[in-house]
Amino acid sequence: MDSINLIRNFLEQRLDVTPDKVTTEARLEELGIDSLMLLELMFEFEDKFGISLDNTLQTPKTVGEMVEMMERLRKENG
Amino acid sequence: MVRHRVAITGLGLVSPYGGDLEDFFTRLAAGESAVRHLRTNDLPRPLSTPFVSCTAFDPEAVLGKPLASMMDRFAQLGMAAAFAAWDNAGLPRTADGESRNDWGVAWGTALGGTLASEKGYRELWQKGRERLSPLTVVMVMNNAANAHISLQLGLGGISMSYTVACASSAIAIGEAFRRVRSGEATVMVTGGSDAPQAYGSVRAWEALRVLAPGNEVTSPSACRPFSSNRSGLVMGEGGAALVLEDWEHALARGARIHGEIVGYGTSCDHTHLVRPEAAGQVRAIAASLTDGGLTPDDIDYVNAHGTATADGDPVEVAALVAVFGERAAKLPVSATKSMHGHLLGAAGAIEAITTVLTLREQCIPPTAHLAQLDPACAGVDHVIAARHGHPLRTALSSSFAFGGSNAVLAFRATP
Repeated sequence: MDSINLIRNFLEQRLDVTPDKVTTEARLEELGIDSLMLLELMFEFEDKFGISLDNTLQTPKTVGEMVEMMERLRKENG
Repeated sequence: MVRHRVAITGLGLVSPYGGDLEDFFTRLAAGESAVRHLRTNDLPRPLSTPFVSCTAFDPEAVLGKPLASMMDRFAQLGMAAAFAAWDNAGLPRTADGESRNDWGVAWGTALGGTLASEKGYRELWQKGRERLSPLTVVMVMNNAANAHISLQLGLGGISMSYTVACASSAIAIGEAFRRVRSGEATVMVTGGSDAPQAYGSVRAWEALRVLAPGNEVTSPSACRPFSSNRSGLVMGEGGAALVLEDWEHALARGARIHGEIVGYGTSCDHTHLVRPEAAGQVRAIAASLTDGGLTPDDIDYVNAHGTATADGDPVEVAALVAVFGERAAKLPVSATKSMHGHLLGAAGAIEAITTVLTLREQCIPPTAHLAQLDPACAGVDHVIAARHGHPLRTALSSSFAFGGSNAVLAFRATP
């Protein structure tokens, strides 16, 4: 699964957000992802791809930034 | 010191029968048990025990998916009950201009988010995972229910939880009552919730040898308080909430007043961790009467703690006889745990609601399955079928917890 679909799945399953709302420009906060939900989403990402995120990572603000971060980390972790 | 009268303007629960508040009381009055046989698919050995489950409760439907997914089941039950009580009180969920900065929550729970914490242990120890969901802490914490209630209803006053075993929510209600009576709070949401069906919780209670046995056929009548063939308590999950409100504030907004809370008495047996002591209960009952400016002659009904354990029931009757003296023989008493089960941290709240409805409806619900009274429990007027036709002015609801903590609430009917 690619990163944007992981985010779409998460939002649909957890917060009832329809996938069409999850565009790269969409702000995470407006989709209902507060700081706690962001931790939960990152946890799911780590789990899915067997990656461990650094605590010092900058917090993404939009879906696009989140995808970019996920893609970069997946590449770095081979 | 000025004492404000305290109105009960909201009642709400997640009914074990699946219906609304009126349906709940109708079924209690009819002596109908909500106890069923619970069989889980737990590893390594499934639970098999009489239990009260809120099977019709759909947290996502009632709370919405985002909110429900942030909560352990105990908080879901609590939030749903609080919403029901709030709607019942006719208060808007979003503040409409009036400050709610002295409105608060006092919530009882014996176990808190035990299901979430158990899920965490399973992940770690059964599935060999190394990490837990970041939501684990906020789901497990005992103050999760009251925190969510304050958030959802915009209540800026104190938000607190009470963990006092089986007296948790009676004490929460009593402490909330004091806050409104003293004028510190205008409105308090109070009550309790618990979900004790966690594998480890049930196994721990089984080890104490106080749980009644039962199968698919016998479970509905497994809890038989005061009966000569009683065999122990039946646990259940649930949530029950009351809105306590400054009397004048309630009148000013034209709220329906279900009843008045007038007294609260507490004590500790200080004799044994689990064996109750009549002397301690006597002090709590007497303190509730004094606090409410009442005498034994004023009391027309007692909703007993009555769990159906071998030791507990006779001690409770002995305490009532000690307080009520000659009148005890004519004092109507019933133990509704025979039908709604023992909800641990929600027990005091569901019984407080039952007591308020008893006064409002002028109908005493019975102790179910009491065909043969244990002579050791004789001395009060055991109600074994719904009773109407006698004026009911004031009533008590007793909660006597492991640890020796006792709490008794006194309620008055509104004319």
